Amino acid sequence: MNCVELQQSLAEVENGSSGPQRAHLKTCAECSALVAELNLIAATATDLRAAEEPSPRVWNSIEIALRQEGLIRPQSTNGARGNRSLLPSFGSRWTWARWVVPAAAVLLITAGVYVRQHSASQPIAANIVVPVAPAKSSDPAGLSDDDLLQEIAQQSPAMQAQYADNLRRVNEYIHDAKSDVDADPNDEEARRSLMEAYQEKAMLFELAMDHPLQ
Amino acid sequence: MSGRTIELVLAGAMAGTVFVTITAGTLVAQSRKDLHFNVGVRSGISVNNPYGSISVKPSLNNTVMINAMLSSDKVEIDSSQNGNRVEIQSHLLPGATAENGRVDYEVLIPADASITLHSNTGSLHAEKLHGDVTLEGASATVDIRDITSAHVHVKTLNGPVTLTNVQDGHVEVDSLSGEVTLNRVTGPLVQVISTSGPINYTGDFGDSGDYRLTSHSGDIEATVPETTSADVTASSVRGEVHDDIPLQPKAHTSFIVRQGSAFVGTMGRAAVSSTVVLRSFSGKIHLRKRTSK
Repeated sequence: MNCVELQQSLAEVENGSSGPQRAHLKTCAECSALVAELNLIAATATDLRAAEEPSPRVWNSIEIALRQEGLIRPQSTNGARGNRSLLPSFGSRWTWARWVVPAAAVLLITAGVYVRQHSASQPIAANIVVPVAPAKSSDPAGLSDDDLLQEIAQQSPAMQAQYADNLRRVNEYIHDAKSDVDADPNDEEARRSLMEAYQEKAMLFELAMDHPLQ
Repeated sequence: MSGRTIELVLAGAMAGTVFVTITAGTLVAQSRKDLHFNVGVRSGISVNNPYGSISVKPSLNNTVMINAMLSSDKVEIDSSQNGNRVEIQSHLLPGATAENGRVDYEVLIPADASITLHSNTGSLHAEKLHGDVTLEGASATVDIRDITSAHVHVKTLNGPVTLTNVQDGHVEVDSLSGEVTLNRVTGPLVQVISTSGPINYTGDFGDSGDYRLTSHSGDIEATVPETTSADVTASSVRGEVHDDIPLQPKAHTSFIVRQGSAFVGTMGRAAVSSTVVLRSFSGKIHLRKRTSK
């Protein structure tokens, strides 16, 4: 098994535990590093509790987005109150919520990819397909902080300063965490901090989505 | 009756009418709503309240009792029960504001029930429960106490978070800039992540847990008794670290320990120790010894 075959085989046995994979990994430092990184990302993803049930608000925002896209229709009504969802009902006003949830997810994926890219050897890193996020800003996740702040300014001006301040701080957090990873890509704590920084930003967007309107 | 007397009577009557109208208006605007639900063991209760407080305490039996004080008719309460799950939602009507859309809840639930509370501006309080507790809010003040053997998850933007006497917990607190205070909080996992808020821990780090307190720019302070057993790693990229407790140095560390910006070591008995990681970028870290009073 050569390097290309090993990377292809990871689609089926991603932890490199099969016999041919192990045989190749014993002799190839680059592939060993790749498998180690993939295992680390998988373990970190577990830490992020991605497998946990999303909150009702997440489901609600998905429901709202599907309705807006016309993919589902409201249930038959028995008066105005008949079809009111018990879940938060601010989706109709927060039309931008439909991109907030995937955007938060993209943030976390981006963090994983960034960590992986900055710790893998160059030839292998070049083979990794980086997910393409909607390009709206220079942020690696394609998120537009300006969009977020504009929406908050329109919908809940009293909260704008708080969100702007926290957004600035969390961007500094990400910047510093990236610098730390760049300085020592093998520092596990630094890489974990970067994931946590992105997690904080994802939480900021989630809280913004949750904020009701006046 | 003289003309002057008639004027006074009419004026009094008008004033009385206005008073009654205002009083009646107030009575109409503010209202109280009580809800009761029968549930089984390990039920789930969710309260989503955009504006206002939520306080949760244990009930004496398998009932969920909701006492809600609505500040005006600009908000109403939607409720539903689906099997063992109860959902409560403060529903803001057109024209609702933070003031007239406010609802204050007092909730009694079975002690083994799991709760999910959400409020943006009010206080969130839960006590004496052993079901899972999930609290979220932007500016909400979070106060959790006397929780045992439960998952405790908290998310806030800038609201302060206080956890007191949480035992055997799986605790995860995320706060952008709110101060996080943990008093006697122990369990297999205790994790606090903050962007700029300070983190204060007072307790003994249990006996076999994983404790991670991380803040980008906030200070971290841990105050522990001398009897604490823990493997401690503390590092601040740009801030200072201070250690009042002598640690037994570790032979191997995963990073270069720079004097004044990091320390690594074991306190107490390593065989029964917890793992403690204190990490900041620009905040100070201080490991203090608790002095007996």
